Amino acid sequence: MMRFLLLFSRQGKLRLQKWFTPMSEREKKKIIRDMTTMVLARQPRSCNFLHWKDLKIIYKRYASLFFCLAIENQENELIALEVIHRYVELLDKYFGNVCELDIIFNFEKAYFILDEFLMGGEIQETSKQMVNRSIEASDMLQEDDSSEWFEVELFG
Amino acid sequence: MSDVVEKTLTALPSLLSLDSQPGSTKLSSTSKLGTLIRGITELTSKHEEEKLIQRELTSIKEQVSSPNTSMRQMKELMVRAIYCEMLGYEASFSYIHAIKLAQQGTALEKRVGYLAVSLFLNESHELLLLLVNTVLKDLQSTNLIEVCMALTVVSQIFPKDMIPAILPLVEEKLNHPKEIIRRKAVLALYKFYLIAPNQVQHIHNKFRKALCDKDPGVMTASLHIYLQMIQENPEGYKDLTTSFVTILKQVVGGKLPMDFNYHSVPAPWLQIQLLRILSLLGKNDQSTSEIMYEVLDESLRRAEMNHNITYAILYECVKCIYTIHPKSELLEKAAKCIGNFVLSPKINLKYLGLKALTYVVQQDPKLALQHQMTIIECLDHPDLIIKRETLELLFRITNAQNVTVIVEKMLEFLRINKDDYTTIDLVGKVAELAEKYP
Repeated sequence: MMRFLLLFSRQGKLRLQKWFTPMSEREKKKIIRDMTTMVLARQPRSCNFLHWKDLKIIYKRYASLFFCLAIENQENELIALEVIHRYVELLDKYFGNVCELDIIFNFEKAYFILDEFLMGGEIQETSKQMVNRSIEASDMLQEDDSSEWFEVELFG
Repeated sequence: MSDVVEKTLTALPSLLSLDSQPGSTKLSSTSKLGTLIRGITELTSKHEEEKLIQRELTSIKEQVSSPNTSMRQMKELMVRAIYCEMLGYEASFSYIHAIKLAQQGTALEKRVGYLAVSLFLNESHELLLLLVNTVLKDLQSTNLIEVCMALTVVSQIFPKDMIPAILPLVEEKLNHPKEIIRRKAVLALYKFYLIAPNQVQHIHNKFRKALCDKDPGVMTASLHIYLQMIQENPEGYKDLTTSFVTILKQVVGGKLPMDFNYHSVPAPWLQIQLLRILSLLGKNDQSTSEIMYEVLDESLRRAEMNHNITYAILYECVKCIYTIHPKSELLEKAAKCIGNFVLSPKINLKYLGLKALTYVVQQDPKLALQHQMTIIECLDHPDLIIKRETLELLFRITNAQNVTVIVEKMLEFLRINKDDYTTIDLVGKVAELAEKYP
């Protein structure tokens, strides 16, 4: 099961935080500090896995953003790496050649996509099409307030 | 790196222009959020950032408390409040308004309201009870999007004591004609199972129905619950072994729709879940294990390509083969696999190979001996994580001859290591060895 997912820039500025288990504010702040220090200190050619307390931290750098995912000890690290990659693919498909600016200015959309993809610390939907369709349907919501219309889109 | 800079430079003119682009790539440049973000990036000191955010928070606080704010404006204010909280500043005045937004807003406003609630609150927060009513209402709505949102928020954050109130509604969604709702309902029940298992005991037969659902998404979702239940009680589910084996056969044979492929590998996450379930069912049980041999062989053969995800599947396969009742041909193939991992130049694979060796070394110590040279090389690897894994492995294969050397290496590592948790762990191991081999 996944515990949390953090996205931060190379200067350590947080861009997205998703917690899959309940935690106090103090703990969250401490974790964010620890993660940014640890991950940013890693050498470029070392492996993408770290140990922290009783969790494993999987991190990957995409351009200027670090994606940092924490999993429990018995989980498979390589699969977690692919979870990160899959999320990036989804973001790319949605924003079209996604860059850090897209995520900064549209972070609530990034959260929506994440919520369709991961749920309660597990992968929810492995079909790319489904995730994209549900996001696009809710985008239609923005243009037009009447709800029946895009129901056809999503469920048609 | 330079193409990101280029992309940023080309995007800047449109960011600064007054008309925003249509479609999903709309950058909310003229919105107040955009102004806030740009304002922050221009500042240089933390002190100035604090001042700006506090000003922003005061302005947001005024606007959310005013009775004239429309839901549309409230949505925008919530997004800014989420941003401020993300930067570490407290905006607890906005929590109640987030719940109100989820209650009263339509569609996208509701969605932002729910998002804000899931990000702001935690499970023991007293405001959560107010959310329950909204969720109950939305679950019964005729608008399917609202039902989806309600189910999503239920899976993210829900007070334990209110589960009985909402359980019948979620249960009935299990039979909904739309697969997205069924899938979300299964995941909501999974969350309930995790926080209050006894409340969900009586609906096990419904999970079986979800397992046989014609939509692969729903079926995958039900596997999460099954994995948990089987971990607690493997005996009760042995009769399902044939079903799991059949599903895995179909997946590996490419019978799922193309959409579930990830880089030409069919539904890898599903495969891994099934492999984990099968290893739990086949442990110490010869007859159950025999059902699985064929499909494990097939999975090993199919996962030939050179992509991270196939290595992940191979790793799970190998673990499964070593957990269940042994069969020599499969063990041989798995051993070869581990060998390939450890000898691979890719550092992630080496790590995985070492982990696999640690796992199997009790059953097959010869394998570790075979790769002695590589293990010794890994001891001097510049990456501390690899070193630590190697030490874990060596700890398992310690015997009277090599104990001094191994303990020396561990002490050396302890000197350069800075992480407290690892230090405690290693010191414990050294003490154990000292006791065993005085």
